[in-house]
Amino acid sequence: MSAPAVSIKGRAFGDHLLLALVILLSIVMIAPVLWVIGLSLKDNAELMADPNSVFHAPYTLKNYINTVGTSSVFIWVRNSIIVSGGLTLGTLILSSLAGYGFARLNFPGRDVLFVIVLFGLAVPEQAVLVARHQIFSVLKFHNTYQGLILPGLSAPFGVFLMTQYFKAIPKELDEAAMLDNAGRFRIFWKVLLPLTLPAQATLGIFTFLGAWNDYFWPLISATKKDMFTLTVGMASTQTNFAQSEGIGFLMAQAVFAGAPILIFYLFFQKYIVTAVSGAAVK
Amino acid sequence: MTADIEIRNVNKHFGAMAVLEDLSLSIKAREFIVFLGPSGCGKSTLLRMIAGLETVDSGEIAINNERIDHLPPGKRGVAMVFQSYALYPHMTVRDNLAFGLENIGMSREVIDARINEAARILEMPHLLERKPGQLSGGQRQRVAIGRAIVKEPKAFLFDEPLSNLDAALRTRTRLELAQLHQRLQSTMIFVTHDQVEAMTLADRIVVMNNRRIEQIGSPMEIYERPATKFVAGFVGAPAMNFVEATLDRSAENAAARFADGVSVQTEIVSNQLSDCKHTFGIRSEDVRIVAAGQGNADGVVEVLERLGERTLVYARLGDGQQIVGSDAGNSRIAVGHKVGLAFDGQKSHLFDESGRAWHAREA
Repeated sequence: MSAPAVSIKGRAFGDHLLLALVILLSIVMIAPVLWVIGLSLKDNAELMADPNSVFHAPYTLKNYINTVGTSSVFIWVRNSIIVSGGLTLGTLILSSLAGYGFARLNFPGRDVLFVIVLFGLAVPEQAVLVARHQIFSVLKFHNTYQGLILPGLSAPFGVFLMTQYFKAIPKELDEAAMLDNAGRFRIFWKVLLPLTLPAQATLGIFTFLGAWNDYFWPLISATKKDMFTLTVGMASTQTNFAQSEGIGFLMAQAVFAGAPILIFYLFFQKYIVTAVSGAAVK
Repeated sequence: MTADIEIRNVNKHFGAMAVLEDLSLSIKAREFIVFLGPSGCGKSTLLRMIAGLETVDSGEIAINNERIDHLPPGKRGVAMVFQSYALYPHMTVRDNLAFGLENIGMSREVIDARINEAARILEMPHLLERKPGQLSGGQRQRVAIGRAIVKEPKAFLFDEPLSNLDAALRTRTRLELAQLHQRLQSTMIFVTHDQVEAMTLADRIVVMNNRRIEQIGSPMEIYERPATKFVAGFVGAPAMNFVEATLDRSAENAAARFADGVSVQTEIVSNQLSDCKHTFGIRSEDVRIVAAGQGNADGVVEVLERLGERTLVYARLGDGQQIVGSDAGNSRIAVGHKVGLAFDGQKSHLFDESGRAWHAREA
């Protein structure tokens, strides 16, 4: 009888150790966020005099009022939402259609084309940068939303993911729908696409987060301040840090910048965890 | 609604491999017909060709004298129940049943009426708002059949629909299918490799092997007068006993002589048989177990299978051949006993080298 008791005790200790570790890691993750929020609530002059003043009153909303009133951060957030949202929507539509085509349609050169698409995974963005920049210059796409969205729509990973997912759906469902008098697009739209929701969620989350955090292409394509995405805009204020309006104001902008992604996370928490863990959503 | 189905000289290849060769078949309206055969014989392919899920390389398929082999599946007026049920997992049972009717633009009132009627027939009104994932295997089966019923098709096609059910449920569902056929009076085509399903459900069985039809007949015709050695061996459990034999055709009816000198007088007319080697065939229930020395041959009991109403006795003859005979359910025979085997000449069969069967004259 004693052996199981020891085992249960041992397991309880392990659980406690794990919990302590999780709490520690959470603190490491959350502390900088709280630090940023704390700094954003302090008067700039006070912070300049004493950085440790963040730990005690008085606190002020002045930085947020200034941000709302004068900063470009709203424009950058709007740009990021448009670019990330547009890119996510476009990627989901194109990857789903392409995945369905590769998984279900028989057409000449299908397998070769699929391999060519997969080759796209091996081509780094930097390798095509100059050519893309030239093409977009000719098309006058720089400093436009299409200029920021279009490059991301070639999504070999998305096509691969959706192809594999469509392949995993039993073909009997297509056949049952054919016997139910459904045309090809109706089968795609009403029968198969709803079954790919877990893959859509995974792809959508990765695409949105990737687009939101992207810095490289927007830095090159968006040169006008009102076309900056959030990452580029925030970096531009840090470049002028010495002359900036102060660290409190900068931190208030950062909080504003982080808010949409935080809201996104709160809404899609379940799917994000699932996507990252690689498991299917039930 | 019901349908005559005509299949004329149909061929089918997958790449270089022939799957069906010059196959013809007439199915009468309201008939319950079963395609029976081993895996890979082409029975499912034939069913899928009728459904329109496989193309026809050459030949014709007609329903009620109208060619349908060029029509898409949804326009053929047939409904199919799949082995895996193929229910749409994200839709409720009601939506599963409604989907096909919505696709042809049927009014909501008619759709609801048909769904309610199908649910009543299949005793599943309480399942209509559930999704397939919330149903048991048997319930999914019912929904799959319901999805076929609501379409009021000219013919029902079943592709091994019972194979995913456990033994008890399979027996019950088999009975329900037979009742459903009586009630709907529709043409039904059922594919299976299970001879019990074929024997119990079919008006006629189409036994298929190796890309072609071996025999078409009623269950008892198939069982009692198999057309070929393959049919004789495939239908019936345990399989028919086969013994290599030479024939004595000196009398009006032939006698079969085994290698160890055992002779069995058949009631098969001699002059229709050729001189080639033949195989003697007899079912286990036509081999009675008697006292040693009292039958056509003696053998030593190796295995006993007690089935309740009878006992199957596996005995080894002197020449090494095994014969399965039948004794009473409460048989006192034990393994190792020497027993006599009495063959019923009236029920015996002969098969020539091509596999063609010869039987006693019909009474």
